[in-house]
Amino acid sequence: MTPLYATLVGIAMGFFIQRVRASSPGMIVRNLRLENLSVIKFMALTMAVGMILVYTLSLFVPSLLHWDIKPTYVLGVLLGGLVFGVGFGVGGYCPGTSVVGMGEGRKDAMVAVLGGIVGAFVFTVVYSVLIAPLVKVMDFGKITLADLTHQSPFVVALVVGVLFLIVIKLLPTEVQKSR
Amino acid sequence: MSYSPSGGAASERQSRYPAWAFYGVLFGILGALSILAWGPIGVSGTYPRFIGEILELVAPSYAGSNEYIQKVGHLFSKGETFVVIGLLVGGFLGARLNREKAPACEMIHPSEKTPARRYRDAFIGGFLIVFGARIAGGCTSGHIISGITQLSVSGFIFAAGVFATGIFTAKTLKGRHQATGA
Repeated sequence: MTPLYATLVGIAMGFFIQRVRASSPGMIVRNLRLENLSVIKFMALTMAVGMILVYTLSLFVPSLLHWDIKPTYVLGVLLGGLVFGVGFGVGGYCPGTSVVGMGEGRKDAMVAVLGGIVGAFVFTVVYSVLIAPLVKVMDFGKITLADLTHQSPFVVALVVGVLFLIVIKLLPTEVQKSR
Repeated sequence: MSYSPSGGAASERQSRYPAWAFYGVLFGILGALSILAWGPIGVSGTYPRFIGEILELVAPSYAGSNEYIQKVGHLFSKGETFVVIGLLVGGFLGARLNREKAPACEMIHPSEKTPARRYRDAFIGGFLIVFGARIAGGCTSGHIISGITQLSVSGFIFAAGVFATGIFTAKTLKGRHQATGA
């Protein structure tokens, strides 16, 4: 059943991304310049709703959830994020939104996907020498904020989720230009 | 609320709720359902799995000995691959059902004066996002959306890195141009 579910989830996700204009690299760059915060607010709202829902479910049907917490190898995760951010700022796409953009008929999205495929190829070639040693540095394993704070995961999800909602409510969507 | 995602209904709805709010709630529910159905949403692992399949065809002995290709596994053994196929269809449907035509080549920085410059930026950007995502073990979907939804510490660290250089890069590419007056 997984292929069917995953395809349907992908279709819905692609549709949402297209509707909030996150597949527009111009919109992404306006968000990164902090001129318009709609995509950042969309992402924060997604996470707030998702975390409160998932951790509520975990109180009632814990055995039904398929968690997959990614390991926190601090140096590699941070370095990867910093490299990713440069690419995000230069191209205006992420690995998922470029595929959505391709579906919309954007040629620059197709070029971004091609760049991603080349990037993946170079990565697989240099992995053993450059990357594998890096991901062993400061590896804390699969930890969550609840592990870190020794609090109930549901309470942490509620607190973080509500905090996100407050920030979303306070932030403007269109930022007034001071210049 | 019930509606069909067709042109009229969509525009009527969006006048009451901003699109980011409406679809943000839906995407949050979708992410939770996905964790119920098979696991958190992710995308970027599909790129090296795709490379793995090609190398299995053209250089099977290299593919068999490459540590990373063996680590990421086969393309069609992962739900993620089908998510990516869905993204392509979802993007198409989102534009088509709302009668939108996306620009084939959208200029995003002042320095992108020709399509060639735009394609160059898109290629470099595409290269770096996938390379960076693979160092970190996930991208905007796997690390940020799904990671932070699960309260994973790695998701918060990755997001901090992405927005630090993302904001700096986007602002610099705009600002430097204005400073030179070009």
